[in-house]
This record gives sequence, structure tokens and C-alpha cells, in this order.
Amino acid sequence: MSEMMYVEALRTALREEMRRDKSVFIMGEDITRYGFGVNRGLVDEFGSDRVRNTPISEAAIIGSAVGAALRGMRPVAEIMFVDFIMIGMDQIVNQAAKMSYLSNGELSVPMVIRTPEGTEWFGGGAQHSQTLHSMFMNIPGLKLVIPSDPYDAKGLLKSAIRDDNPVIFFEHKQLYTQKGEVPEEEYTIPLGKAVIKKEGKDLTLVATSWMIKHSLEVAEELKGKISIEVIDPRTLVPLDKDTIIDSVKKTGRLLVIDESSINGGIQGEIISVVMKEAFWNMEFPPRRLGSLNTPIPFSESLEKEVFPTKEKIKKEVLSMFSD
Amino acid sequence: MKVSREQKINMYRSMIRIRRFEDKLEQIYRDGKLNGHSHTCHGGEAIAVGAIEALSEKDIIFSNHRGHGHFLARGTSPKNIMAECYGKVTGTNKGRSGSMYLVDTKRGMPVASGIVGGNICLATGSALASQIKKDDVVTLSIFGDGATNIGFFHEALNMAALWNLPIVYLCENNQYGEGTKREQHQKIKKISDRAIAYAMSGLTVDGTDVIKVYKTVKQAVEKARSGGGPTLVECVAYRLSGHSAGDLGIYRPRGEKEEWEKIYDPIKKYKKQLLKEGMLTLQETEKIEEEIQKEIKEAVKFAIESEEPLVETVGKYVYQEDENNE
Repeated sequence: MSEMMYVEALRTALREEMRRDKSVFIMGEDITRYGFGVNRGLVDEFGSDRVRNTPISEAAIIGSAVGAALRGMRPVAEIMFVDFIMIGMDQIVNQAAKMSYLSNGELSVPMVIRTPEGTEWFGGGAQHSQTLHSMFMNIPGLKLVIPSDPYDAKGLLKSAIRDDNPVIFFEHKQLYTQKGEVPEEEYTIPLGKAVIKKEGKDLTLVATSWMIKHSLEVAEELKGKISIEVIDPRTLVPLDKDTIIDSVKKTGRLLVIDESSINGGIQGEIISVVMKEAFWNMEFPPRRLGSLNTPIPFSESLEKEVFPTKEKIKKEVLSMFSD
Repeated sequence: MKVSREQKINMYRSMIRIRRFEDKLEQIYRDGKLNGHSHTCHGGEAIAVGAIEALSEKDIIFSNHRGHGHFLARGTSPKNIMAECYGKVTGTNKGRSGSMYLVDTKRGMPVASGIVGGNICLATGSALASQIKKDDVVTLSIFGDGATNIGFFHEALNMAALWNLPIVYLCENNQYGEGTKREQHQKIKKISDRAIAYAMSGLTVDGTDVIKVYKTVKQAVEKARSGGGPTLVECVAYRLSGHSAGDLGIYRPRGEKEEWEKIYDPIKKYKKQLLKEGMLTLQETEKIEEEIQKEIKEAVKFAIESEEPLVETVGKYVYQEDENNE
């Protein structure tokens, strides 16, 4: 075991997969010289053929990754901010997600789009701070991965690269510098397997990405009063329904927290999935917490109002035990 | 560049096959026997046939919504394409596509794009794969004049020129983007001039002359294969059909179509040329016509008699591992 940052865990995964498989290559804007530093140093080992700086052309980055994947490569395309993914939306939704189905499984698109989302410490504002993964859950044909710590980031990225489907891999800007234990030896984490981050018996708290940290802190602070089980689905597609449903059947309470805007977000989707199986086990109506239905404002005081914070989570949890 | 007699006759046969196939298809739609959208390439047969003749077997073609001609020219059976238009399990996509998103992986043709310009970046990525793998494959990216106004075109051509990718961008300039005449959707006179903006070679050729198309595309393909980078080839023709089945083209100026048809119908033109060169006799052309008519008739029969896809398969291959979506 060694302790490393999330950003280093991602880089290690890329390095290991590029060494393992010649068809893996990475491309994106300024990936060798700027940005959050995930790809730093990789060009020195693998050369500029497999570590490509691209023009600012998100549709061509994503679209050419789809085309290369159709020809047997395993591209990892980096989109510098998830907000920019919108430029390449057609290439994801109309092209990548449809190839397997339209060809009856004859064509595969083994590609990964890595992209950071979420609010920033320096105030990216409305077009650099969004959390957009929810909208992709409505597109059949895509897999969605959203790791919350260095261990998961490495194991899941390796699996995403080896997967034969188009995968969008959502990172979080706040997570990049977070540290965690990562084994030295080879490991992967299968897509579609949730993890129970902390066991509990009074409330199931399903959270994603940066929200896991807040959730674990709330669970710790309320220890002795309320026993909270914190579950990280880790992948939204495929979604590990069973782990969540089993937990809710045990606790009778469910709170889902995600940084997506609340309207049409994955919070409601997860609640619906669980209620189909666990409705009669409920002791309290399920609740959801997400960002307000506003663009992300710049001013720090306004920004804090928009996304779920530790304080808001704690308040929500307590309100579910007010009776 | 020599073109053999056999090649010339094969190209003629292929053009007739496309024309008769699409004549029949349009009639079936007009009779209200089929649903969905169908875009025919009447007037553009020489482009499909000439360009695809210039490729080798291992090369890759990214086709579009107006793609029957490309697939037929590459050798996909009219039976499978017709069955796909009927949504049958014997279709090229087992009934999942209809006319617009045909596929033939055995002939190097990934799923065609129904989004105008949507495949230009994908084709560029295919060429990128070839460059990294050094596999000597050239990719042909086919799109219409309308697609040259969309962002994908700009992003992809810039990238391909920058990286010197082995690709040929083939613009079928049929002078209409859906119902809009080209003069009303772009100010530029020659589409190939757009190549200048990317420091790429740009060529314009008469798209109603199959031999000229063949020779021009061949030259571009050889250049790409030998490391010379991408070329934008504009083939000028005229869309003799509507945008899609059922479109009567009432937006066209009176007499325009008839005038083009008289002089530039690629099939009439080519037939005249072959007769003049003594490559074919009138009798031989009639025989070809008969054979193709029979082929198309059989294709329709095959499509009608084929089975519908099984309902249980609806969730298959959304993902590669064959998961069924709930």
C-alpha cells in the first residue's frame, strides 16, 4: 500500500493500461502541458503518437475517439471540463451509444471519456462548474463511472479502459488532491459493483463523488445518535441496485445525495428503483438532495448556497428522524 | 491511369443497380408500403461507384443517410439492403436501422450516419487509428454539400490536416441541402476551396462522370496511402430525386431538374460513352438492364418474405456483453 492523490491514482491507471495494451492511447487539449495534471509525464514514456495534444475541438476529440475505437483502438479522450462535453454531444449520444445496437453487436466502441465536473475552489462559475452526469443516464448504450477516492479511481479507470463499451468517467475537481491508500499490486474494480463505505442500521445514505466525503463526516458526527450506512454506487450505469435495495430493506430510510441539479437528476432515479422493491420496508419517505435548479453563480456566498454541503446533509438527515 | 474494360462494365452495372434499386424503393414508399425515411442518390451514382472503385478491399468507408448507393457499390447485396428497409431480420442491421444507418462490417463499412456531418469526425478517428497502427488503410469519409456547413467538418478537417492523416473527404455536392439550394446555404462557389483553410489539397471534379471521379479519388487515395495526407474531393452532380421519399421538390426552379437530367444524368452519359467507345453494344446494355431488374425484383421478394425480428431481442446489444435493459 502507498498513499497517493486521486490525480496520481488516475495517472497510474493510465500508465499501467498503456503498458499493458498498445491499442490504448490518450488525447485531449493540452494534456502534456496544462490542466489538472492527470496525464503529466506520460508523453515521455509513450511518445506523442499515443499521448496527443489536440486542437480545441471537442466534437473532433470525441468523434475521432469513436472512430478509432471502431477500428480496434482503445482511446481515452480527456475533456478538460465536463461543461465542454456539450460540443461533442452528438458524437456521444447519436454515434458512440448507438454503434453496438445498430450493428447487432458487430461493432464495439471501447473508449473512455474522462472529464472533471463539480464546483471549484476558485469559482469557475456557470460554464466551468456543472455536474452533468445525470443527463447521460437517460442515454442507453453508455456506461457511467464516478469514483470518489483514489483506490476506486484507479481500479475503475482500468476496468473502464478494458470495457468494450463507451464509458464516461466523471472525476471531481475537489477530489484530485485528496489522498488515499492504493495498493502497489495490480487490481481492478468491476463496473456495476457498489461499495458500502460505512455500515449502519438506521438510514441508508447513497452518495456519489465529492459528496461521499461530506456524507462520511456527517455519519461520524452523528455517531451514537443515528447509525448511517453510506453507500457509493461507484458506477451509475450499470447500477448496483441490489446493494442499495438490501440496505434500505434493513434501515427503512433512504437519502440520496448527488451534486446534479435536483430536477431530473439521478437522485430521483435511484429512489424510484429502490421503491419498486423496498416500499413496504420504509419507515420514512425517501429524500433526495442535490444542487439547486440554478446555474452555478460565481460569488462564493451564492455558490455555497447552490450545491449540497455537509451542513445541508446533516440537516436533511436530522429531519428524517424528527418524529 | 488505365481503366480496364471489365472495370468499366462493372461500374456501369453497379450504377444501373443503384438506380433501379432506388427507383423501386421510391415506388414502394410512394405506394405507402413502407415507413420511415429514405434518401435516394439519383444523379449521384457516378460518385458512389467511381469513388468506391478507387479503394482497396481493406479500406474503410463512412457513409451517410443517403447511403444505399455506397453500400451497393461496395458489394452489399440488394437483398439485405431492401430487407433492412423493410425492417426484417435478414436486413443489413437485422431490422434495427431502416434505410438510414446501414452497416456492412465485412466490407469495411461501419454504421452510416443519419446526422448530417455526424460521421466526419468518426472517419477522421478511423484514419488516426490507421496512422497509429501503421496498417496502410485509407478511410473514405462521404458527406454532402450541406454537411460542409456544420462544425464537425471544420474540426475534423483541421485535425486531419494537422496530423497528416490517411483520409479522403468526399463531398457529394448535389446542390441541395434538403430543400435549400446551395447558393442559399453557402456563399463559396467551389466547396473544394475550403481545403485551403486547412492547408489541405482540394479538388473539384465532375461528379456525373464516373471515370473522372474514379481517377480523381484514386489519386487522392494513393496520396493518403503513401503518407501524403488528406484531400478534400468535391464531386459536383445534381440531386435528381427529392430530399427523401415523398419529396416532390416543389422548391426547385421550374425546368432546372429537366435541364440537368438531359445533359448530366450520369447513367445516360456513361452509357453513351461506353457505346461510343465500343465497350458495350446496345444489346449488352439491354441484357444488363434485364439482369438488374431481375435482381431487384428478387430483392423485394426476399425482403417481403423475410421474418420480422424476434421481439425478445429488443434489448440485445445495447451493450457489448448483451445485457438486457430493463
